[in-house]
Amino acid sequence: MKRNAFPLVMLLLVLIFLYLPIVVLTANSFNLSRFGGAWEGFTLKWYAQLLDDRQVWSAFANSLLIATGATLASCLLGTTAALALHRWNSRLQLFHYGLIYTPLVIPEILMGISLLLTFTAVGMDCGLHTILLAHTTFCVSYVTMTVLARLQDFDDSLLEAARDLGAGAWVSFIKVQFPILLPGIISGGLLAFTLSIDDFVITFFVAGPGSSTLPLKVYSMIKHSPKLPVINCLSTVMLALTFALVLASRAFQNLKQPKSLTKGALS
Amino acid sequence: MSAPSIFWLTLFFVVPTMLVVAISFHAAAPDGGIGKEWTLHTWRSISNPNYPAIIWRTLWISAATTVGCVILALPCAFAIARMDKKWRAFMAGLIMLPFWTSFVVRVFAWRLLLHPEGFVKHLLLAMRLTQPDTQLLYNSGAILLVSIYSFLPFAIMPIYAAAEKFDFSLLEAARDLGARSFLAFRKVFLPGIRRGVISAILMVFIPSVGSYVIPDLVGGKNSELIGNKIYQRTFPDRNLPHASALSALMAFAVLIPLALVAAALKRQDRKEALRLADGNPVKQRGGAA
Amino acid sequence: MPSDFLVFENVTKRFGSLTAVDAVSLNIKKGEFFSLLGPSGCGKTTLLRMLGGFEAPDSGRIYLDGVDITDLPPNLRRVHTIFQNYALFPNMTVWDNIAFSLRVARYPKTEIRKNVDVMLELIKMADHAYKYPSQISGGQKQRVAIARALVDRPQVLLLDEPLAALDLKLRQHMLLELDIIHDQVGITFVYVTHDQGEAMSLSDRIAVMNRGHIEQLDPPAKIYEAPLSGFVAAFIGDTNFLEGTVTEIDGDYCKLAVAGFPNILCFNDKNISVGSPVHLSVRPEKIRVTPTPPPADKDPRINVFRCKVTDIVYQGTYTKYWVQTDSHRISAIKPHSRFLLDQDAITWGDEVYCWWHPDDGYMLEHFTAADADLVQMPPAGYSLPKTPAAQPSPAAS
Repeated sequence: MKRNAFPLVMLLLVLIFLYLPIVVLTANSFNLSRFGGAWEGFTLKWYAQLLDDRQVWSAFANSLLIATGATLASCLLGTTAALALHRWNSRLQLFHYGLIYTPLVIPEILMGISLLLTFTAVGMDCGLHTILLAHTTFCVSYVTMTVLARLQDFDDSLLEAARDLGAGAWVSFIKVQFPILLPGIISGGLLAFTLSIDDFVITFFVAGPGSSTLPLKVYSMIKHSPKLPVINCLSTVMLALTFALVLASRAFQNLKQPKSLTKGALS
Repeated sequence: MSAPSIFWLTLFFVVPTMLVVAISFHAAAPDGGIGKEWTLHTWRSISNPNYPAIIWRTLWISAATTVGCVILALPCAFAIARMDKKWRAFMAGLIMLPFWTSFVVRVFAWRLLLHPEGFVKHLLLAMRLTQPDTQLLYNSGAILLVSIYSFLPFAIMPIYAAAEKFDFSLLEAARDLGARSFLAFRKVFLPGIRRGVISAILMVFIPSVGSYVIPDLVGGKNSELIGNKIYQRTFPDRNLPHASALSALMAFAVLIPLALVAAALKRQDRKEALRLADGNPVKQRGGAA
Repeated sequence: MPSDFLVFENVTKRFGSLTAVDAVSLNIKKGEFFSLLGPSGCGKTTLLRMLGGFEAPDSGRIYLDGVDITDLPPNLRRVHTIFQNYALFPNMTVWDNIAFSLRVARYPKTEIRKNVDVMLELIKMADHAYKYPSQISGGQKQRVAIARALVDRPQVLLLDEPLAALDLKLRQHMLLELDIIHDQVGITFVYVTHDQGEAMSLSDRIAVMNRGHIEQLDPPAKIYEAPLSGFVAAFIGDTNFLEGTVTEIDGDYCKLAVAGFPNILCFNDKNISVGSPVHLSVRPEKIRVTPTPPPADKDPRINVFRCKVTDIVYQGTYTKYWVQTDSHRISAIKPHSRFLLDQDAITWGDEVYCWWHPDDGYMLEHFTAADADLVQMPPAGYSLPKTPAAQPSPAAS
């Protein structure tokens, strides 16, 4: 059947649209010019400046720390939540689902300000710990949804088969369900990690003076500091890192599932 | 089993949200804290003449962003869903990849691009599409453009997820019965992915209403959105109750359409289930907790 | 009693307002191949799941070898299930799948290895032991599922429509394999299916179920030849229903008045009296179809009538004819025991003679109007409108 070319053309245009700023950014990180209006020559000097910037690296370390903590906590909370939501169908679970779903659809700024108000109200000083609490909170929903989607594809008769063959509830979960769910959990974890590293709005509201994460640092550099090209370098590096992470997660997923060979003939 | 997450989310989500509403009913203390008594004073001062304009601007930009994103997302999702399996995953990844990079940086990149000396201006001048003194930056148009850019993956993903499950042989059947491509698209494909489109609309409109970074970096003094005002009241002004009231207002603006859509979908689901259950004994496995 | 190996005692199961299993009692003998046969929704799978421990009966008890297992969870019963989609663990190899129950029960490693290897030999999959389920075919998956369930010698094996996912040729092959495995291993099989062919070829006894209760429990031949109810007669194989009243009793036979037929003679095995209503089931293969009347040397008691051929379905080994009398539509099957192309075939519209021996009809104990609907009839026919619908004008879409 003759296929209409229009959708493909649109797809191409959209891809160009999506990548245009990124390409320009990356190109400009090597651009001698300060404002990136025109190409003035190739250079690595902005990268050198980046390496020397203490504050950026400290912010980066904070981001990593918080992201790791938030990922671990939200994976634990999210997996248990997904298992509960999948298994039971009661009013409690309906409320539970609402709790999980709502943070995904409200604007981040609401979560940011509500958490700030809470911390202020209980007299807690804002710092890395409040950022960690905030990040865990919004990550839980993403992990839950990812794992829940995996669970919905999960063949429940496998659990029945395990119990049928003599395994108790816990053993069935550990030996049969968990290994199959693990790629989903890791997937959710990677999602949480990425969201946490990149979060700006919520972090902006609940970070105190003195604690900074990478997005916060980038923002303050944009607003206050003249070191514009360094931001380009930073983002190029972050882009490369993200790219590597995504590739790694893809490779990991393929590793877990052995590729199916051609089906053997009847024997 | 559900206890840990319910506990955590109640503590760190439900309670803070209720707190926001509660604080909006207090007055601001002179030192930047929260006053002791309950009062409607904060809510009354919301009727400040500036606010309606800002709210209106927020709503129309969000609506326009949503429309723009959905219109762009539909052909893209359609194209990807039609591809071979191995290309699909690659393409979906390609679309999502920019999303994984720093959001702030991408908005900043647009600021450079739309700069009077920037790349886009040069391109448009070369194509004779604009005047040398046209401002591409620091206005509502810039906010709209960058918003569409930022939220487009959020529109593509749910529509693509629905399109992937769509049975494309239905389109072939439509062509077979005489419909031309666009007609088949409108009458067979769109209704088939209806859920995905609704999802996309929600996933773009709602975050867009709360936009802060985009108007802050590429918007101008005259194109503030609610998000900017909330920030202003929180940090420079130190007027937390005011910020709370605005946030509560925003929450309503967002939750009401959400609740309506959810209720409508639930009603539809129930009707479907009743229809399918007619005559077929329903096998139920597992019990209620 | 020694034959009461597996006993269901008045078991009932409801799902909401639907009664899936309605006070069912049955005894299954040790070592037998027992089938639960019936249309979808009849309760057979629910019964099986209660046996496996995945559903709990609302009332009634289940006994295995004298022990009340009704309240035992699935992992404590010496009963294993073959699931319809096999439910092989995708993250484990064939070897690990089979070894699963032994590992869970903490058998010593040497025992496990010995038993798994024996099983692999039994199902002839020793060469594929380290493959994953995604790498083996449907028939192989099924064999692995069976091996996995048999390796720790359960007392009963439950099979839930295990051949449903296979194509025809493979199904026929696996039918034979299942039979062989049952003979070799010797444990009790409880088999659930909606396919009569499977049930009849494999089973020692069949329980035909309908709407939550058992209509008949008998060996296959008895079910087929002597159905107790109209449902069993119509669900298993194909049949013709004749409804009449007894007019006369003549020794072992009685005469029936059936609408539109000359006097029908049928074997009176139910000691029925004059004036009682009778529902007769006559299977199509018992009815002979010939263009000429039956030869003179045939038993004078045979029922003969003249009719016209309205539909013909050729099936290779036999041809099915639907014939029409004034009041009835009857189906008859003519096996082709000689080279067909040498003979004069009966064709549509022919006037033919149909006849059957009164011994070959069977009186039903229960009959409802719904049972008659189960019998497959060719449709009355379609009529298309004479001309196609008018073409719409080009402006309309």
